[in-house]
Amino acid sequence: MSAAAGLDGLEAPARRTVAYLYGVGLLLLAMLLGLYTVSRPAALPGVANIHVATAQPRGAEPAPPQAVRLPHILGDETAPWHAGGRYTLAWPAGLVYAPTEDVQLAMLLPRVGTRFRVLLNDHELFHVGWHAAPERTINAAWLPYFVPLPSALLASVPAANTLEIEVAGPLLERSGLWPVQIGDYDRLYARHDVLYGWQVTGTWMMVITALLMGAMSVFLWVLLRERLFGLMALASAAHVVRLVLSVLVEPHLSYDAYFLLHRIAFTLYVALICLIIEDLFGLGLRVVRWMAYALMVVGPLWMLVTLLSGEYDYYRVWAGLLAAVAFFSLLLVLWGSRLGRELTPDQWLVGMVAVFTLVTGVRDFLVVQLNFSGDADLRWTSISSLVLMLTLGWVLLQRTTASVREVGRLNATLAQTVARREGELRTAFNQLRESERQRAVEHERRRLMRDMHDGLGSQLVQTLNAVRTQGQGMDHRVIEGMLYHALEELRITLDSLEPMDGDLPTILGTLRQRIAPALEAAGIELDWQVQEVPEVPSLDARGVMHLFRCIQEVFANVVKHAQATRVTVRTWAQDGRVCLSVADNGRGLLTVGAGASGGRGLNNIRVRAEKIGAEVAFQDAAPGTLVVLAFALGPHQEPPDTQAFWADDL
Amino acid sequence: MGEEATHIYLIEDDRTVLQFVEDSLRLRPTWRLVGYADTYAHARLMAPTAPADVFLVDLGLPDGRGEDMLRQLALARPDAELLVFTVFGDETRLIAALQMGATGYVLKGCSSEELIAAIEQIREGGAPISPLLARMLLKQFRAAGAAPDSPLASSPMAMLSDREAEVLRLVAQGYVNKEIAQKLGVGAATVSTHIKNLYRKLAVHTRVQVVKVAKERGLI
Repeated sequence: MSAAAGLDGLEAPARRTVAYLYGVGLLLLAMLLGLYTVSRPAALPGVANIHVATAQPRGAEPAPPQAVRLPHILGDETAPWHAGGRYTLAWPAGLVYAPTEDVQLAMLLPRVGTRFRVLLNDHELFHVGWHAAPERTINAAWLPYFVPLPSALLASVPAANTLEIEVAGPLLERSGLWPVQIGDYDRLYARHDVLYGWQVTGTWMMVITALLMGAMSVFLWVLLRERLFGLMALASAAHVVRLVLSVLVEPHLSYDAYFLLHRIAFTLYVALICLIIEDLFGLGLRVVRWMAYALMVVGPLWMLVTLLSGEYDYYRVWAGLLAAVAFFSLLLVLWGSRLGRELTPDQWLVGMVAVFTLVTGVRDFLVVQLNFSGDADLRWTSISSLVLMLTLGWVLLQRTTASVREVGRLNATLAQTVARREGELRTAFNQLRESERQRAVEHERRRLMRDMHDGLGSQLVQTLNAVRTQGQGMDHRVIEGMLYHALEELRITLDSLEPMDGDLPTILGTLRQRIAPALEAAGIELDWQVQEVPEVPSLDARGVMHLFRCIQEVFANVVKHAQATRVTVRTWAQDGRVCLSVADNGRGLLTVGAGASGGRGLNNIRVRAEKIGAEVAFQDAAPGTLVVLAFALGPHQEPPDTQAFWADDL
Repeated sequence: MGEEATHIYLIEDDRTVLQFVEDSLRLRPTWRLVGYADTYAHARLMAPTAPADVFLVDLGLPDGRGEDMLRQLALARPDAELLVFTVFGDETRLIAALQMGATGYVLKGCSSEELIAAIEQIREGGAPISPLLARMLLKQFRAAGAAPDSPLASSPMAMLSDREAEVLRLVAQGYVNKEIAQKLGVGAATVSTHIKNLYRKLAVHTRVQVVKVAKERGLI
């Protein structure tokens, strides 16, 4: 598959590819710039940012209030703070209003949690999970909160207002209070909208995208059984789990389960993405694979240790490790492919997007975890994860379509090959048929020549010799008779060429026309007892000629030797065979067979009968002789032609 | 019957055949050879108007096809007997000739007596036939019966009667007219008549076709 993708890359015109990749690079840079611009800390007019508060831990031993800078993370403080904190915010000096004015003010908490409540002048205005049972898992920190400050509750003098925020939650979730904004209702509402869209709607969109990607990858994996699609499906699943657990305020899980599931899902996601990129580049980088496998194995254990210890630093180390492994893997892959061979456009694309994602990940790590400058409420990875997902999806789609195209191309090639082979086969078949036809023509030519030679030829030679030796003294009637015989010979040969389809009665009837005059001349009565019988396959033109000669021989014997007065010709079908009999009422077989010529004649009949697959029997019928020819009805295999016989004659 | 005056027209390019025919006619003093053509061109002009009852037509003319000659004569002289004069009883070609209107055939190389007998047979309403010819005719009529839109089936005359079919079957099995007559319990002449009727049925289609074509071309 990667080879197919590579071919695709090489086939595309190089210039267009370069332009395309530059375009993608510029787009990614523009996105980074856009993210930077959007998430730069900016002051809103009419809104005060509160970065300090007076705080008091909620622990068993109350400590005196102390001034703290926001964000204030409970886990970073001493034990009394671990149970939670109570923050008193000073009313911003610049935020003034007239006592009689109907003011529209609000407070925006971009990040707070994981449980909290807001009190204005000792009235509870807002809370998330504050009154829920302690065992419930509340995870308010992912969402921004917009809290209107009702004018009825405001003190007539702005500075007299007391704003309090109480916070509690698991230390591993970085529970605490981040900077708060107070001021103009509308502006804060708009700001809340942006944050909500970015963090919550954006996350759900990611969830849907990842679900679709996962489903598509599963389908493709089921169809193609390709590792890459399996990895993609798993990565999508891990991503979905992590995102859903992030954005749900109250997941129905114990906190321990929630923590493990959420963090392990993220670890798996990172490891799988490393594997996907490694697979996509097809370099066989074992180091990357082993690192990814190590993350998958060590991750859950590490998370367990983190959970048991309750030390966020463990997780921080792990997050750093994940970033380092991802960075190192990407470096290896890019380095390897630069050294190994040209990168395909798809690999360039994935490489660039991976770098982009890594940059956003590092930025978020620096801003969120290490409090670098920047809007920690707008996380860049939300955008970059989406871009990475879509890019990987695009590449996988490319590979699938490439493989489909390859299948189509193979099919076309196959069809061509089949057509060509078919053509060759047809040509070969035609050649074979032509040569078969020629062979048949040649065979027939030989037979005709032989018949002409034996019949007409010898008759004409006899006539010629008779005329030469006897000359003038020869009776013209004798010559006429001999020539008539020659013509009859020719007619018999031509008769044999008529299409008679193995119809024995018609064949015999045709022969009857030729022999009847001779019988009549000899005063022999012909008793015709022929009846319809099944067709005899062996009686083709050649077979007809053999049969003619056999019957001629039989009748010649009858006329010359038998001294018969009557000949009966009969046909019938019996036991799957077709039979033909010629019976005379003459002197009988023994006497006839005694003559030398008679013996040769019978032998000729036997030889010819064998050639047409007929069994021949001579019986002494007392009086007379009975000759029976029995034809098999199955396909007839003629014994090999005795070519030498004919060749010698020539 | 043989004493009846018969007028013969010979279309034949072989002079020895002319000689043979003239010799044979001496056996029947009342018979006349009323015309002779040795080319297709000559026969086409002269034969149709010749006062002959029997035409002897050679299929192998030097300048044209004997079959075409037969068709013209069949149209011009429907009452006349058209005998094909051929060296071999080549049945395939004979069927074509019969369809063109021939009413019989004579083998060249026959004796004078045989020629006279053939002419007398045809004048008396008989027709020569061979087993193979009978077999081919049977097949042809059977095929026409099986395909109702074939040319033969278009004419009601084309249908073969049972008796005719029986005659054809027996001829195809090698029986001669006399034996067939015995088997069927009819006279030998009746068998001959059956065969001649068959030939007419074969030619009817051709005659109808020819008239149709001629009408289309404005010839008649």
